[in-house]
Amino acid sequence: MASGSPDDSGRQAALPWTPDVSESATEALQALDTYKKKDPSKVVVRFKAVGNAPIMRQNFYKITASNRFQAVIQFLRKELGWKAGDPLFTYINLAFSPAPDDTVSNLYKSFATEGHLIVNYSTTAAWG
Amino acid sequence: MSAYGTTRHHGQPSANSTPASTTLFRRLTWEGTVPLEIRVDSKELPANSDRGLECYYIQAPRVSYLPLLMPEIRRFLMDVVFDEAAGKMLKEEEWWFESEEGTLLKWHWPIGLIYDNHIISASIRPPSQTSTSHYNLQVTPLKLILHLASPPTEKLLLSPSAESCKQAFMGQLKEADFIRWGNTKRMTGLRKQDQDGIWEGIKEHNFDDYWRVASKVVPTTAPARSNSPPPSTNTSMHARPPSTDPQSAPDRDNAYNVRSVPVRLYLPDGPVMQDVVSPTLEDGSPHTLVHYLSTHLPLLFPPVPYSGPELAYAMMHGVLVPPDAEMAWLGACMAGADGWVSLCVGIVR
Repeated sequence: MASGSPDDSGRQAALPWTPDVSESATEALQALDTYKKKDPSKVVVRFKAVGNAPIMRQNFYKITASNRFQAVIQFLRKELGWKAGDPLFTYINLAFSPAPDDTVSNLYKSFATEGHLIVNYSTTAAWG
Repeated sequence: MSAYGTTRHHGQPSANSTPASTTLFRRLTWEGTVPLEIRVDSKELPANSDRGLECYYIQAPRVSYLPLLMPEIRRFLMDVVFDEAAGKMLKEEEWWFESEEGTLLKWHWPIGLIYDNHIISASIRPPSQTSTSHYNLQVTPLKLILHLASPPTEKLLLSPSAESCKQAFMGQLKEADFIRWGNTKRMTGLRKQDQDGIWEGIKEHNFDDYWRVASKVVPTTAPARSNSPPPSTNTSMHARPPSTDPQSAPDRDNAYNVRSVPVRLYLPDGPVMQDVVSPTLEDGSPHTLVHYLSTHLPLLFPPVPYSGPELAYAMMHGVLVPPDAEMAWLGACMAGADGWVSLCVGIVR
C-alpha cells in the first residue's frame, strides 16, 4: 500500500517548516502526504430496503471509496426523493449505523460482503 | 485463525494478562481526563455580558462527549457571563465548538480523541507555535471556541443533543461488536435497561456502571490464553456470571479469539484509517502494534530491521504505546468506552 514516491520538489516550499527542521521530520511529512492521497478507486454499494421503505429500481451503485458515508446517505435521500427532515435510517449489514464521517473505503474494507458494501435503509429506527 | 502456535518466540505470557490488571488498565483508561479552556467567541457574546470572564476551564473525562458538557458550560455562562435576559434568548442547539485553529469539533468524537487528535495535528505545524518537547505530548488546555449561533450543520453531521450523541455512541459500540464477532448479537442481546445503563455510565462517568454492562460485550484477557489448548478448569477464571454465558465456551470472551480488533488509525489532520486487524498472525503469534504500524504505515514506521531515526509515534489516551503491545490486549484493556482502539499517530521532531 502507498509505496509511491511523492513528487514533492514543488511542494517542499509550501510546507510550513523553518530550515532547521530535521531531515527525519521532513521525511515523515512526505510520508504523511502519501497517506493523505485520496483513494480514487470505486467500490460497489448495494442498497436494500428494510420494512416499509420504498424499493429502488436500481440498487447497485459504484461510489468513490474516499467518500464519506454521509455522501452515501445524501445520495440515497436524493434517489428516494426524500425531503429534508424526512426520516431515513441507514445500516451496514442489518447491524449498525456507521458514523457519518467514516469513509466508504474503511467500511468496505471491514464489512464488504461478496464484493459489495450492503447499506440497508429504513424509515423507522430498526436496530437502534 | 484462532489456533495458537505452541512455539512463541516473543510475547511471553505477561503479568498483564491477568484479569486484575485488565481491570486496572480499564480503570486507568476510564479515569483519564483532559484540560479544556472554553471561550465564547467574543463577537457573539450577547449584549451586557460580563466580558473578561467568558472563559471556562474544565478537566473533562476522556471517555465523555462535548454535548454532555453543555449543561455545565451553559450553567456557568448563565450564572457568570451572560446578562440574564440576553442569555435566555440563546438556543443551546445552535451552539458549536471550534478549535483555536478553526477546526470544527465533532459532537460524536470522545473528548480524549479530540484532544489527542489536536496534539498529533499540532505535531506537523512549525515547532515555534507549540511546545518544544520531542513528542509534543504537552498537557496544556485545549483551547476551544464556543460559538453561540449559526452552526455549520452539514459539517457537524449530528445535532448537538445528548440523545443523538447516545445514538452515535451505541452505533460505535455495535460496529465494534460486529468487527469482533461478525455479528452484533452481544449488543442486541443487551436488555433495554442495560443499553441505557451503559450510556448512563458515560454520562455520570461511573466506571462500575459502565463496565457492569460493557463486560458482557468487550472481550477480556485471560491467563488461559497462553495454554494450548486451554484446560477446561480455566473456564472459571473468567469469573463471569453464568447467566450471561449460556454456551459458556471457554474462549468465548477471550480477546485473542476475536475475528478482528476494532482499531482506527488517526493521522494528523486526517485521514482516519480502518481495516481488518486480526488478533494473531499466521504463525499464531500475537499481532503486535509494531507489526500493525509497519504494515499499514511503512513509510512512517519502517519495518525492522531499521536503523534510521524515529519518524513517528503512536499514542492512545495521551500516552505512548509500547511497540510490542499486542493488538488484542489493547482491544481488551485500552479501548475507549466506545469499544475502539483509537491510535493517534504524530510526527517526531
